[in-house]
Amino acid sequence: MTAYLDIILVALILSDFILLGSGRLGNCIRIAAWQGIMVGLLPIATADAGFSFRIAALGIAVVVLKGFVFPRLLNRAIRESASSREVKPFVGYTTSLLAGVLALSASFWLDGRLSFPLHLESAIVVPVSLSMMFTGLFLVVARRTAVNQVIGYLVLENGIYALSLAIVRDVPFLVELGVLMDMFVAVFVMGIAIYRINMEFDHMDSNRLAKLRG
Amino acid sequence: MIPFALLLPLLVGLPVLLSLASLAGRSPAAILRLCAVGTVAVSLLAAVPVAVVLAGGEPLVMLGDWIRLDALSALHMMVLCIVYSLGALHSPGYFADEVRKNTLDTAAARRYGGLWFGSLSAMLVVLLSNNMGVMWVGIEATTLLTAFLICVHVTPGSLEAMWKYLLMCSVGVAMAFTGTLLLSASTGPTAVHGNESLLWTSLMASAGGLNVTLVKAGFIFMVIGYGTKAGLAPMHNWLPDAHSQAPAPVSAIFSGFLLNASLYCILRTLPIVEAATGGQGWGREILIAAGLLSILTAAAFIVVQRDLKRLLAYSSLEHMGIIALGAGLGGAGAFAAMFHMLSHSLGKSTAFLSAGRIIKAYGTNDMRRLTGTLAASPLWGAGLLSGILGLVGTAPFAIFFSEFMILRAAVDSGEWVTAVLFLLGMCIVFAGALRFLLPMVWKPRDPKPVFPKATVLEHFIVILPLSALLLLGVLMPGFLTKAFASAAAVLGGAQ
Repeated sequence: MTAYLDIILVALILSDFILLGSGRLGNCIRIAAWQGIMVGLLPIATADAGFSFRIAALGIAVVVLKGFVFPRLLNRAIRESASSREVKPFVGYTTSLLAGVLALSASFWLDGRLSFPLHLESAIVVPVSLSMMFTGLFLVVARRTAVNQVIGYLVLENGIYALSLAIVRDVPFLVELGVLMDMFVAVFVMGIAIYRINMEFDHMDSNRLAKLRG
Repeated sequence: MIPFALLLPLLVGLPVLLSLASLAGRSPAAILRLCAVGTVAVSLLAAVPVAVVLAGGEPLVMLGDWIRLDALSALHMMVLCIVYSLGALHSPGYFADEVRKNTLDTAAARRYGGLWFGSLSAMLVVLLSNNMGVMWVGIEATTLLTAFLICVHVTPGSLEAMWKYLLMCSVGVAMAFTGTLLLSASTGPTAVHGNESLLWTSLMASAGGLNVTLVKAGFIFMVIGYGTKAGLAPMHNWLPDAHSQAPAPVSAIFSGFLLNASLYCILRTLPIVEAATGGQGWGREILIAAGLLSILTAAAFIVVQRDLKRLLAYSSLEHMGIIALGAGLGGAGAFAAMFHMLSHSLGKSTAFLSAGRIIKAYGTNDMRRLTGTLAASPLWGAGLLSGILGLVGTAPFAIFFSEFMILRAAVDSGEWVTAVLFLLGMCIVFAGALRFLLPMVWKPRDPKPVFPKATVLEHFIVILPLSALLLLGVLMPGFLTKAFASAAAVLGGAQ
């Protein structure tokens, strides 16, 4: 199964780079959805030892939430507004791609420094998840529109999920469910927040949200 | 032996039911009254296990170690109940004019009541869970449930504050989850497996055998993550906005307990880290540095501050720093940190609630225009005056004594630089906060703004916490001394 695992991991890296270089909101939401589905398939692709109910249930829950429910919520949030592209991000797309390369090499370096106990049979799983976390953080900071910031948050969460699969033997089922529920509510609340901001400001530029200072 | 532990799940469930009841409330006034009565009821229920743990010292355990109340969490729960009760008892009076003018309609009041009890329940989950994963779930839930409490009044400012809070704290708390995972992964070399690898008690018990690199990495992630929500500098950017835009009862729970709940998670992890790294003070040094940085950052902003609620918010940043510093110093410092936590929450919630009423009557947050409050309203003016005097560490109030103890702890452990920087921060804050306080209280103003007549209950809920703050400094009851000591003992590991 390692072949499948590595294919998914490489696809995850590619999706990071597409997100870093893309400005159309609808496109970004779609890529983030695909990334969510691939992350959801990770535990299934690695279940060599035995295909338990737990793995199947979690895999399905993650795929449904990240692949279908979240994009829906985000699409609904942007439907009302006129803008469909990122307007002048804080960091340009070319620079963003360079930052992505930097994040990827930093992740490989960090993986070499810290010896993580591995539970997945792939040498690149930890660097890939770390680089997803870095990319997510970068998107939150570097993008101007609220929807893209939420996508950054989702990429960060995907990275954390992949890392948890790689280094923790088994996170208790109850905790996993709690984490998923929190994520669902988070995206739901953020969606409502974006909708409200739209109604009040008539656009989604969170940079205009900069009256409170000092 | 009465099984008091059975009360613990009930304690989480009751606010959930009350939250649902608020969603079905018929009028804004009725919902606000339900908030007041319900919160006090939950507090009275919580008082029983808290008293049992703080008096007996033995932790209460339930559901196969998943629920656990020890001295540290019991003390935090006491503060939680006091702060929420004060805020809830203030709500009917604070929103009275909006209910009359119908700017707070039934839908908004239902949302307020539902989120109020929901966040109360989530905070109780944080304090009661022995599982670090569930504790994280609780903290993230409090972020999500309190976000819309900031924008009860929908304005551009409150939406901005809400978005900043939601995004910064969600990202921050996601980092804390990474920290939790690393901590769980650090059990590799030990016999702790599966469900147990996230239980605080089993991590503590096998702390000696944990993978030190992973524990250290995990703690750094947790300090950054939970520190974002606790408002530690330099991750504090959301804090002054959220505190200043929220309605006063919400500001009071933000400042009085939301920050403490997140700091509690860091404090919970500290003994594990200390035991795993061989008690060399590696984790404590981090807390000392974060504490000092927060104190000095807050001091710099307090000096230039002209907005009353932002001033109080930066003061919270300062006090979180002081608690972190005290816990970092350990020993007598940890005792003082626990004492300081209670005193700060008492003083800060009263100051925020009084400030809220004054700001409502004057229609401005600008301290240069808020003059003569004592003559305009003796109750709220006095509440603000003594609240701020207490918070900056004026002598007879409890905060003076806890800050003094922390200074002593720093000097005794030979941390001279820390002591000097701490003292410097205190002096700047003192001078900065008093700059506008004196005219704000005494400078005459014509015409006097009109305050609605304060009820007997409102007199009580201002005078009671302030007298407690005053008395705690002069004579501390024996059971509190014991409570602070046993909570500090949890922080100090098995000493």
